[in-house]
Amino acid sequence: MTDWLSQVKNAKKSCMVQNNLKKVHYDFGNGREMVEEYNTDTNVVTRRAWKLKNGMDAEGEWDIELGDPEVNFNKEQLLFIKESSTQPVVTRRNTRINLEWRIRNLPYPIETYSVVVDEEKKSLVVRTTNKKYYKVLRIPELDRLYLQPVQEAVRITHKFNTLIITYKKPKQLLELEKNVLEEVNKIKPNNYGDMDCKPS
Amino acid sequence: MLETFSVEFSGVLFVVSSIKAKVEVKDLTRVERIGAHSHIRGLGLNDLLEARLNSEGMVGQEEARRAAGMICEMIKEGKIAGRAVLIAGQPGTGKTAIAMAMAQSLGHDTPFTSISASEIFSLEMSRTEALTHAFRRSIGVRIKEEAEVIEGEVVEIQIDRPVCGSGSKVGKLTMKTTEMETIYDLGAKMIESLTKEKVQEGDVIHIDKLTGRISKLGRSFSRARDFDATAANTRFVSCPEGELQKHKEVVHTVSLHEIDVINSRHQGFLALFSGETGEIKPEVRDQIDAKIAEWCLEKKAELVPGVLFIDEVHMLDLECFSFLNRALENKMAPILVMATNRGITKVRGTNYKSPHGMPLDLLDRLLIITTRPYTNDEIRLILSIRCEEEDVKMESAALDVLAKISAETSLRYGIQLITTASIICYRRNDEAVSVSDVERVYSLFVDEARSTQFLREYQNDFLGDENVLDGDMVMATQ
Repeated sequence: MTDWLSQVKNAKKSCMVQNNLKKVHYDFGNGREMVEEYNTDTNVVTRRAWKLKNGMDAEGEWDIELGDPEVNFNKEQLLFIKESSTQPVVTRRNTRINLEWRIRNLPYPIETYSVVVDEEKKSLVVRTTNKKYYKVLRIPELDRLYLQPVQEAVRITHKFNTLIITYKKPKQLLELEKNVLEEVNKIKPNNYGDMDCKPS
Repeated sequence: MLETFSVEFSGVLFVVSSIKAKVEVKDLTRVERIGAHSHIRGLGLNDLLEARLNSEGMVGQEEARRAAGMICEMIKEGKIAGRAVLIAGQPGTGKTAIAMAMAQSLGHDTPFTSISASEIFSLEMSRTEALTHAFRRSIGVRIKEEAEVIEGEVVEIQIDRPVCGSGSKVGKLTMKTTEMETIYDLGAKMIESLTKEKVQEGDVIHIDKLTGRISKLGRSFSRARDFDATAANTRFVSCPEGELQKHKEVVHTVSLHEIDVINSRHQGFLALFSGETGEIKPEVRDQIDAKIAEWCLEKKAELVPGVLFIDEVHMLDLECFSFLNRALENKMAPILVMATNRGITKVRGTNYKSPHGMPLDLLDRLLIITTRPYTNDEIRLILSIRCEEEDVKMESAALDVLAKISAETSLRYGIQLITTASIICYRRNDEAVSVSDVERVYSLFVDEARSTQFLREYQNDFLGDENVLDGDMVMATQ
């Protein structure tokens, strides 16, 4: 993967502003597409999604990297098996200084959890002492910079049956985000959220 | 083991199954039957594609082996389609052996279909259809598929009937690995599959999320003490590790023929087993060709062109040869290797004679490899290799006698005598075959020349056509 910043610079970008949300669409050329949603007040990415190429079908799916997962009711009916709704669910959020993971439906006290950096897999491994939950969390932001995650940056808290893992953004990441934001601000927005078709 | 996955394109459902033969771990003592060419492991060439005198089961015939090696290189490159090769030579000069050696040297990944020309003559389908089957069986398609799988040990299965009368059952499945435990909601079809497979607590199972297929991997070691639940052939496996849901990339290899058959009719994959495929419409084939070309462009699949070997190719008739001319020009054609031992003889289906019994316009498109008869030393080497293969110990003097016999009669006759002589030796309670054993067997079993001689002398006593041996209908070797 070539340098992320140069990839962003070379991609075809278009953006749209709606209320305080700026939606940017990147087309990287070889079929890869990405959409980012920025909060215009804080300039933080609230949502990032990648378009999954199915290869055969015309319509691909979106793989949500940041933000709440998209619910596709049609697909759900066709599923044979899926995780029960009471099972732990991972969602991601970012703030200006931290990368955050929120795992809901985890009722156990904070002592049961251990979040360890796995050097080999370059990810965070979440374990519980009662062997009830195990998850390997990848960190795409660090992967793009070829950075190794460090244990010192990891913090965990537990509130309302939710385990919150925060990872302090390293300096390089903060710089990269600033550069990407500059590129994004250069794009002329298509419209300011006005609807194309005027309802009668 | 039949695995099925389906892909949909503009309303047509392509169900592609790959039949993977279960590869058993080979024991050192081979239990398989020993065939005429089972001693061949490869072409026996060095890095410069020159043939070693005795290597990988092949002896002598250096020129032909070298040529075959070059053909193999061409096949491995995979870029040239529609080449045809003819291996021609007297009977017993290693033509089929070279073809077998080519198959071995290309490896298991390259599809190698071996047929005898007479096989295509069948009442059930036309000759061109049978040839097309053979051609398309020699081209493989490697399809990469990404699948989400759930692999773990079953902790609890809970299936509830709905409260109000009709309605589908609902169920929950709890599965675990060494690190974690998860509860899953089950759809109606999954509940059916689970009950059908008789999945119990303690079974280690593998579920494909996309197709809903369940396969039992065995029973967990922790349940080894539940004697009631174990059957006689229960396999115990350890509990899987890591996450329950994994992302797996599977590579399926199918041949174009299999794809044709599956798509030719409803429930087509059953036809693959029964063999009653019937004639497949050319429209189906064209559609499949277009689909495969698309997949190749999208890098979803890869074409693996292989080799079609037609033995005794002089048995094909004129219509087949014309079909071959055209089929070779198709860009999805495998490499065609043919073998024959006929000289200038009549082309089947016509009245004119032609070299090797094949029309001149087809011969024009071929690369021809000739094989020459073996020298005495080579014969001796081949016989000693066969002795090893058939597990027969032979004294050196006996081997010399056998080599002399083979040189005078034919190589195949000599090879036949090996096992028969070993039986006589075994009856004598001896370890190694001696000269007397060979002489005894030589007198018991006559070869072709002596048999002909015998018939000449006593032909009046035999039933059947008179004086047929002196007519011009006899097949004589030059």
